Amino acid sequence: MPRPYALLRAGFPYLKTVGMRRNVNHPVDIALGRDGRIYCLCSMEISPNTGVATITFDDDYLGHVGGVGTGEGQFIWPISIVVDREETLVISDSALHRITFMRPDGTFLFSWGEHGSGDGQLDRPAGLAFDAEENLYVVDTMNHRIQKFTKDGRFILKWGEYGDGDGQLDMPWGIAVDELGDVYVVDWRNDRVQKFTADGRFVFSLGSSGDGDGEFNRPAGVAVDSDGDIYVADAGNNRVQLFSEEGRYVEKFIGDATLSKTMIEYMLPQATPLMLREMSRLEPQKRFRMPRSVVVDGRKRMYVAEYHGFRVQIYEKHAIPLSEDQIAPRVESRKLRTI
Amino acid sequence: MSNNDLALTAHLMRRAGFGATRQELEELSTRSYESLVDDLLNPERFPEIEEDVLDRYYPEITIHNNPGTWLYRMINTKRPLEEKMVLFLHHVFATAYSKDGAPFSHLVQLDLFRRIALTDWRTILVAVSRDPLMISWLDNSENHKNELNENYGREVLELFSMGIGSYTEDDVKECARAFTGWTFTQPIPLYPCGHYLPEFEYLAEDHDEGAKSFLGHTGNFNGEDVIDIVVRQPATAEFVSRHLYSFFVADEAQVPAWSVEPPRDPDAIEALSRKFIESGGSLRPLLRLLFNSDFFKEARYARVKSPAELVVGTVKVSGAHRFPDPGLVQLGEAPEYMGQHLTNPPTVEGWHTGQEWIDGGALTERVNFAADELGDATKPGVRYLVERLSGDGSPISPGDLVDRTLDLVGPVIVSDVTRDSLLGHFRSDGDLRFETEADRERSEALIARALQLAVSTREYQFA
Repeated sequence: MPRPYALLRAGFPYLKTVGMRRNVNHPVDIALGRDGRIYCLCSMEISPNTGVATITFDDDYLGHVGGVGTGEGQFIWPISIVVDREETLVISDSALHRITFMRPDGTFLFSWGEHGSGDGQLDRPAGLAFDAEENLYVVDTMNHRIQKFTKDGRFILKWGEYGDGDGQLDMPWGIAVDELGDVYVVDWRNDRVQKFTADGRFVFSLGSSGDGDGEFNRPAGVAVDSDGDIYVADAGNNRVQLFSEEGRYVEKFIGDATLSKTMIEYMLPQATPLMLREMSRLEPQKRFRMPRSVVVDGRKRMYVAEYHGFRVQIYEKHAIPLSEDQIAPRVESRKLRTI
Repeated sequence: MSNNDLALTAHLMRRAGFGATRQELEELSTRSYESLVDDLLNPERFPEIEEDVLDRYYPEITIHNNPGTWLYRMINTKRPLEEKMVLFLHHVFATAYSKDGAPFSHLVQLDLFRRIALTDWRTILVAVSRDPLMISWLDNSENHKNELNENYGREVLELFSMGIGSYTEDDVKECARAFTGWTFTQPIPLYPCGHYLPEFEYLAEDHDEGAKSFLGHTGNFNGEDVIDIVVRQPATAEFVSRHLYSFFVADEAQVPAWSVEPPRDPDAIEALSRKFIESGGSLRPLLRLLFNSDFFKEARYARVKSPAELVVGTVKVSGAHRFPDPGLVQLGEAPEYMGQHLTNPPTVEGWHTGQEWIDGGALTERVNFAADELGDATKPGVRYLVERLSGDGSPISPGDLVDRTLDLVGPVIVSDVTRDSLLGHFRSDGDLRFETEADRERSEALIARALQLAVSTREYQFA
């Protein structure tokens, strides 16, 4: 479906919160499956909670797979998760320098990856994204580059090198591919997001260091919806920022959390924490706490995983597509009006 | 540059920091000793640790059961005295997570210590008195105007400033009254969304506004007023001086014995106390005097390394953990096995130090850790030392091997008995040779063994 010419942005309200500390423990990334399944990649060195916790949009907990270790299907520093069309879980591990493929029930399928800096080798792989052919882009953090592989790990291409110029990268993290095949990379230590064509040609860069609108403090995740809107998990500033497809800042989200269903069920019998909550100032609990991942579903719902919030906050975009004849033509030099 | 300069530089860096690599020592030794001290006392001249990179790989800052990230800071800081002072303050103002288990609170407290590390004792006492972790640890949140809890008021005098014997029980009570109303906000509880931090809160309505008589002064004192009086006391000058001497110069008796045991070096304590009073309790002039003094320069190997010092100093030599790699959690456990569980001191008095660090189990842990760390030739620092020793390929006699390894990992000055014992391990191996690949392989294995033995000596246990 072609992108709309423009949008009437009606709003982007908070919808709900899912997950809680007992099942979603330090989520570093999330991936969406069918039937509302949310795969939460939990990462905390030496913790048995390291692995994938599956919850649903209705906030039911379906179980946990993975675990800490170096064996098949285990992880030390899992960083990114994506699912393919068969809903195979694909997970990068920055400590083990490998990509693991497993079923949602935890059945290990295969893994690949070798530590190094040669073509096809990896040094702290982070973000993952499939293209339309289900080739896999891998952010190769310490080699400051992007590599593209077939699903079975055959090297296809690479781009990027260390630096802060156009097309250069400094410890990149998240990655997303839009429906047109363009690639968005979170250039973590340069506090920006760069857009590339599918074969790595630089298109544009958005953001710079800071905490103002359109600025970043060590962003981690990126997502793109079918309108071309770009979402950036601005982890260090505890917010998510939204940009138009041209890279224009639109708005920011700072968190509006309410207690999830599982949180309420857990809390009701807890007499002491209930009392302490009554004594607390609850405002901070709404706000994002190190959001490291943002993903968007087909209904343009935005899911934000909070590493220190142990939860996923969900928002829903309300935007009406506009055709060219519904909106006045854009002008080269902005002419502002007061009404 | 004489080797003596290098040995003195190494002494300074072991005490004012956590040791230094051989390359660092050789570079530092080209400068005047006084300029090194000046740099140590002015950490703001050097960059802070790269927090973002550490946080990317170790964001779960449950430091209470994993002090690994703190050890990482000790290993990699460009501001060694600042970080050493954090350890000092953690020892003096000992708080343990075991009481309330709020993990983030220790991170906040250690950051606070970093900021105030080289200020003055008044600033430190006020800051610590406002720290929620300390308030919780010593129950000042239970200290109300109509129901005193003297715990914090007592420790301010007994452990944080003057020491036993310099004040009365009435002073304790009046001190506690001055700190009524100093409490913290109730944080949102751990479940269901994780830890939130408490913040200092002064409740005027819970503060005792009555007149107080404290150490010969009378007035409607608040906490800051009491601290103002305390830091002007000669007993405080002596108490803090003795703490600094014990931490940086030479092992002293344990703190509870200070009211009856005279200082090991009364002249040194007197000089430091005088400087404390002259400078209004400022730590930079005091530490400048200390590090530039003869009593400091002559006190080599006069302290048993604390477990944290032993672990960090050894890792600095091995070259490991220069970037946040997997394994910091395990590293964080190492001092605990040797009797120093950072962020979980045994009591409010901190740890008993000196010879009390050593018992059979702890000594085994210390030796095993150091030997394991330097026995791994894949570690860059070990590799460097092996290559440095094998050097130009000239043969090395067993005696040279022992002397040069001791020099490179310290320099460590050992007794004749220790040297003979080390030599006994290599005498029968003959000279190390590097002509053939087989020779080199054998010789490098012997060098690695010599490095392990050098850090297993009695003398290496001392700072």
